[in-house]
Amino acid sequence: MTAATLPRVPGNRDPRVSRGRRVAGSPALRLIVKRVLMAIPIIIGVTILASWVLSLIPGNAAQQLLGPQATPEDIALLEEQLGLNESGVSRYLDWLGGAVTGDLGQSVVSGQEVSDLLAERLPVSGELVGLAFVVSLLVALPVALFAAHRPNGVFDRISMVISTVGLSVANYVLALILVLIFAVQLGWLPAIGYTPLSEGLWANLEGMILPSAAIGIPLFCFYTRFLRGDLVDQMQQEEYVTTARAKGVGSWQVLLRHAFRNSSFGLITVVGLNLGALIGGTVIVESIFALPGIGQMLLQAINTRDFIVVQAVVVVFAVVAVVANLIVDLLYVLLDPRIRYGSR
Amino acid sequence: MAVADTPISVTDHPGLEHGHEEEPRRGKWRQSLGTWIPAGMIALILLACVFGPLVLPEPTGGSVLESNLPALSPGHLLGTDPNGNDILSRLLNGGRASLFIAAAVNVLGLVVGGTLGALSGYVGGAVDTTIMRLLDVLIAFPSLVLTLAVAQALGPSITNTILALAFFSIPAFARVARSAVLRLREMPFMAAAQISGTSTGRILFRHLAPNIAPQLITFGMLGMGIVIIIEGALSFLGLGVPDPAPSWGNMVATGQLSLSATPMLVVWPSLALLITVLSFNLLGENLRSRWSGR
Repeated sequence: MTAATLPRVPGNRDPRVSRGRRVAGSPALRLIVKRVLMAIPIIIGVTILASWVLSLIPGNAAQQLLGPQATPEDIALLEEQLGLNESGVSRYLDWLGGAVTGDLGQSVVSGQEVSDLLAERLPVSGELVGLAFVVSLLVALPVALFAAHRPNGVFDRISMVISTVGLSVANYVLALILVLIFAVQLGWLPAIGYTPLSEGLWANLEGMILPSAAIGIPLFCFYTRFLRGDLVDQMQQEEYVTTARAKGVGSWQVLLRHAFRNSSFGLITVVGLNLGALIGGTVIVESIFALPGIGQMLLQAINTRDFIVVQAVVVVFAVVAVVANLIVDLLYVLLDPRIRYGSR
Repeated sequence: MAVADTPISVTDHPGLEHGHEEEPRRGKWRQSLGTWIPAGMIALILLACVFGPLVLPEPTGGSVLESNLPALSPGHLLGTDPNGNDILSRLLNGGRASLFIAAAVNVLGLVVGGTLGALSGYVGGAVDTTIMRLLDVLIAFPSLVLTLAVAQALGPSITNTILALAFFSIPAFARVARSAVLRLREMPFMAAAQISGTSTGRILFRHLAPNIAPQLITFGMLGMGIVIIIEGALSFLGLGVPDPAPSWGNMVATGQLSLSATPMLVVWPSLALLITVLSFNLLGENLRSRWSGR
């Protein structure tokens, strides 16, 4: 590409540098590429760790399938058929080779393709976590802003007491309390079970409200506390707040336009770190509410020693955690000009 | 992933940076009250869990003749469960197990994770990268999967629960220690120690350790609450403290089976969990606001 064919670029960029090199040289893109490259060894490390940890578990799927009465010969035969007697390293490499090309293997117990199982289960967990996450964040934002607007006011104190207590409740306890109140006592919502979306939106949501509340309420408490604390810090200590106030900017304006903008970085970080833990939390809530999601599949797979399924779930969890952090980094780039222009 | 590498001043652990403002109007006595009330609660719970089981009936092997007694029955303050076991006794014995596991996990995490993190932050370079990337793998690894797998692999028992949960607390402590050391590294006393030829080990344990200890211990208080909850989750799934020995988690799990008929079986251990975790959280928060010097 010659300089003459290049479109006119605004600003003072050197037109002799090709567009490709200019994009490659952008600090934001470099940062993103660096992060993606860093994520790959982490995910591979997680899968190695997973297959090592799983190899420590006594018993295998052949024994579980045949039951305690099986003769050693039968077990040996089935192990042969299922390919369980190869060495751990070669099985891992086989699996990795397949996984890279999108083939996650077949469940040893049900014979189903693992990718089909994931396609069936992931939407359930995704809906659960997505609902909990979005609703808790949407509620936490105004509550934290109102609380930080008048620190130590009545609203602030009440919301802090609630969120402190809420953070100390285990999600399985919360789940049972919710069931006790809304399903057993009041009978408003079903205690367990899942209805697919194809049978109507309300039927589906009805079964999702309690489980996502069990995940979402502690999350809401966490976000509220965090954001409120950060906002109050900004308002009390930062010089730009003093400047804005001295200029005569209204208190809500300072809070929303100045403090909140800065606090949003901390919040994004926390949200990103949290998202990985969040999907892990589905295991227990799905088992309480009998939701056919990925967490329940994981528990079943561990119990039946269906390690290829466990491996796949671990990868999904790790990818979610890593991608969440990637998105956090991307948001930094979008929000913070200091990173965008690579001043550091 | 290494959020700490981004050029934005966020501390390494999210739990450590919110809500630590201290209002200027608030008197000193109120702050010390905020420390002593939860500390007193914890002391009370500890005493009850250590000495209570000595005077109460055995937590297991009750007679069916005494099953499902209501609260305030003679000899059974909180009544009995369907197996005729004294609920208060199970509660205190369960608490003993939970607190012991939580304390052991946090001590392990503090010592191992703290050392790794401090070493990583102080030495820097390739050591730092190696340690932190390995810990990143542990952090990206879904903690519950790891603990489930370890519990399954080694069989449910108190020792194995501690080992499984330690895997999960070590990276967290390491990150806290590392970010604290990174801040201390630039201090004049560090330069003084290095110039006077102090060995790395001595700098780590004599100069850095006392300075990061308050932060680590504060984090440990918050960690107690987290571990008690996760231990409860493991026991709830039948992979922690093995039945019939009581723990708060497995009491909630067995109580869940008859939730509509005898809700109190779930309520008591849930309350115990809530009060204990809340006390540790309040104490941790309060200590943190003290160390942050406001």
